[in-house]
Amino acid sequence: MYFVSFILKNLARRPIRTVLTVLGLAVAVGSMIALLAVSYNVERSVEAAFDSRRVDLVVMQKGKPMGWDSEFSEYFVRETAKMPEVERVSEGIVGNANIERDGVLVDLGILLVQGWKPDNFGYEDLEILEGRRLQAGDRRKVMIGRTLANNLKELAKIGPIGHRVGDTLTFVGDPKNPYEIVGIFKSPVIFEDGGAIVPFEDGQALHSKRGKVTGFSVRVRKSAPDSHAEVETVKRKIEALRDPDDPYVVVVADTPDKYVQSVSQLELIRAVSWLVSAIALAVSVISLLNTMTMSVLERTQEIGILRAVGWPRGRVVRMILGEAACLAAAAALVGTVIAFIGMQTLTQMPKVNGFIEPDLSPWVVARGFALTVLVGVVGGAYPAYRAARLLPTEAIRHD
Amino acid sequence: MTDNRSRNGHRNGVAPGWHSPHNHYLLFADRVYKTYPDGAVRALNGVSLGVHAGEYVAITGPSGCGKSTLLNMLGVLDRPDAGEIYFRGEALTTRCDLDHFRARQIGFVFQSFFLIPTLTARENVQVPMFEGPRRTARQRAQKADELLALVGMSQRAHHRPMKLSVGERQRVAIARALANDPVLLLADEPTGNLDSENADKVLDLFTKLQKDRHLALIVVTHSDEVAERADRVIKMRDGRVVADSGAEIIPTPDPAATS
Repeated sequence: MYFVSFILKNLARRPIRTVLTVLGLAVAVGSMIALLAVSYNVERSVEAAFDSRRVDLVVMQKGKPMGWDSEFSEYFVRETAKMPEVERVSEGIVGNANIERDGVLVDLGILLVQGWKPDNFGYEDLEILEGRRLQAGDRRKVMIGRTLANNLKELAKIGPIGHRVGDTLTFVGDPKNPYEIVGIFKSPVIFEDGGAIVPFEDGQALHSKRGKVTGFSVRVRKSAPDSHAEVETVKRKIEALRDPDDPYVVVVADTPDKYVQSVSQLELIRAVSWLVSAIALAVSVISLLNTMTMSVLERTQEIGILRAVGWPRGRVVRMILGEAACLAAAAALVGTVIAFIGMQTLTQMPKVNGFIEPDLSPWVVARGFALTVLVGVVGGAYPAYRAARLLPTEAIRHD
Repeated sequence: MTDNRSRNGHRNGVAPGWHSPHNHYLLFADRVYKTYPDGAVRALNGVSLGVHAGEYVAITGPSGCGKSTLLNMLGVLDRPDAGEIYFRGEALTTRCDLDHFRARQIGFVFQSFFLIPTLTARENVQVPMFEGPRRTARQRAQKADELLALVGMSQRAHHRPMKLSVGERQRVAIARALANDPVLLLADEPTGNLDSENADKVLDLFTKLQKDRHLALIVVTHSDEVAERADRVIKMRDGRVVADSGAEIIPTPDPAATS
């Protein structure tokens, strides 16, 4: 018999309690892994998109951490484009919009509609699944992401609504100007998959931001691919720009990774993920603590015998911590499955599927496992301490 | 100056003077006192006794006379308030590796067997081996099989305690006590839960083990039949040894003088 076998047999002593404890922990761990995965996937997809679009700097209005509420004059874009160190700029207008059907709002949750110029960097990694991309001279045309297309297709089963190439969509606030769907695309950025892209000028009109942009991306001419000096120079120059018509507007130019860290929505997702994870971990620790304390209490005599036959305190501690760690490891396994199923389920829900990618990266799973094993050690520590403190004679006399 | 006195005040853990015979014994209790925190009465009141290797000793006396407490002291499951336990002349109460010592030198048999219910007989016997001489899992299983054969339980090796009769359980418990080849076996009312037939089997086994393995056997019992089988019977009352059928009677010192 191996020591591990002994530990596993101890857990098998009360199978229902063991299974229930594992399930309880697994639900908590599963929600933790799912939330960490959502946060990780969102950040990763945004970073990956900037990376594939070779963006060196992202320029937004200073003090507008939401991103969408950033708004400044096209002057900044023009002046930046003139800088000798700048290779290209790509501006965009971003906002939330709603679709209506026969004058009635269609509830799609948050629908991001971006306004892009034909030379926007974003087109470089968009995959056109159906139809075509937006072209110069297009007006009142729209490309929809594949997730939005699927959501609209589902809605079309209830009543008529545009969801195919050639159909039209009507945005709330502009009922007289329906937009023709010219293409369905797949983007590396999950938000884009769940949203729509319209011509830049239409976007400005739709979001009531004529002459304005939400932000712009900059490609810098660099002496070497990993050279930061030119990027730093351009950053300083952009941040020093002042619009003569509105000198109080200040912009901030960040590298993509810094931008991702600073966007408040992403920060919020991250913070909520960690907060809920922390609560889940606390619940897990308490649950495990309860189970293991009960288990030690029930086995007081038995632990006394183990001590009598020569088991030192250390081995008793290892036994109890081993049991807790096994429960935690089993919970981590089941929790990963729960997280995967949960995320798959969420991606079927139209209101959130534009923001959730169902992938579980090995990094997130490994982090979830590590935290769960930590739960096992913390949850088992006090019962193990109690068990180790038992004097053999008192434990044997215990009834 | 460094003073290596043990807790009883003896230099280097060696008892001086008239009771120096502790060196000749396998196990020697030297003026052992014990009072439990919740008890007004002393459970042990200056008990001294020595046990030779291979000797079969029965400790008898009325309930509450301190038999089991003495057994716990002799098995270093508990520490005396005063006095010392010597094993082959070495003071034990100052040792910090008593678990290690128990694992290798002492086997315990209890009235209630205390087998682990989730383990088979074969696995129960292996439990002390995690702390004994280093053995592989295969060697532990092999040793368990040998011991179960010794106690006549080979056929029941893969049964859990619930599937065994009380007599069988006690035989498995004896096999477990022998797991690390101890030189001393301590048994607390080993036949207390057995019918006469099973009690006889266990006592026969004890006798066999004592003779074949030269085991020192200390049995706490109420049973005259158990006591009759012993080489020596020690009677206790009120925490003192009041009679010892052995040739060497070690007088209990005056507690007032000791304190």
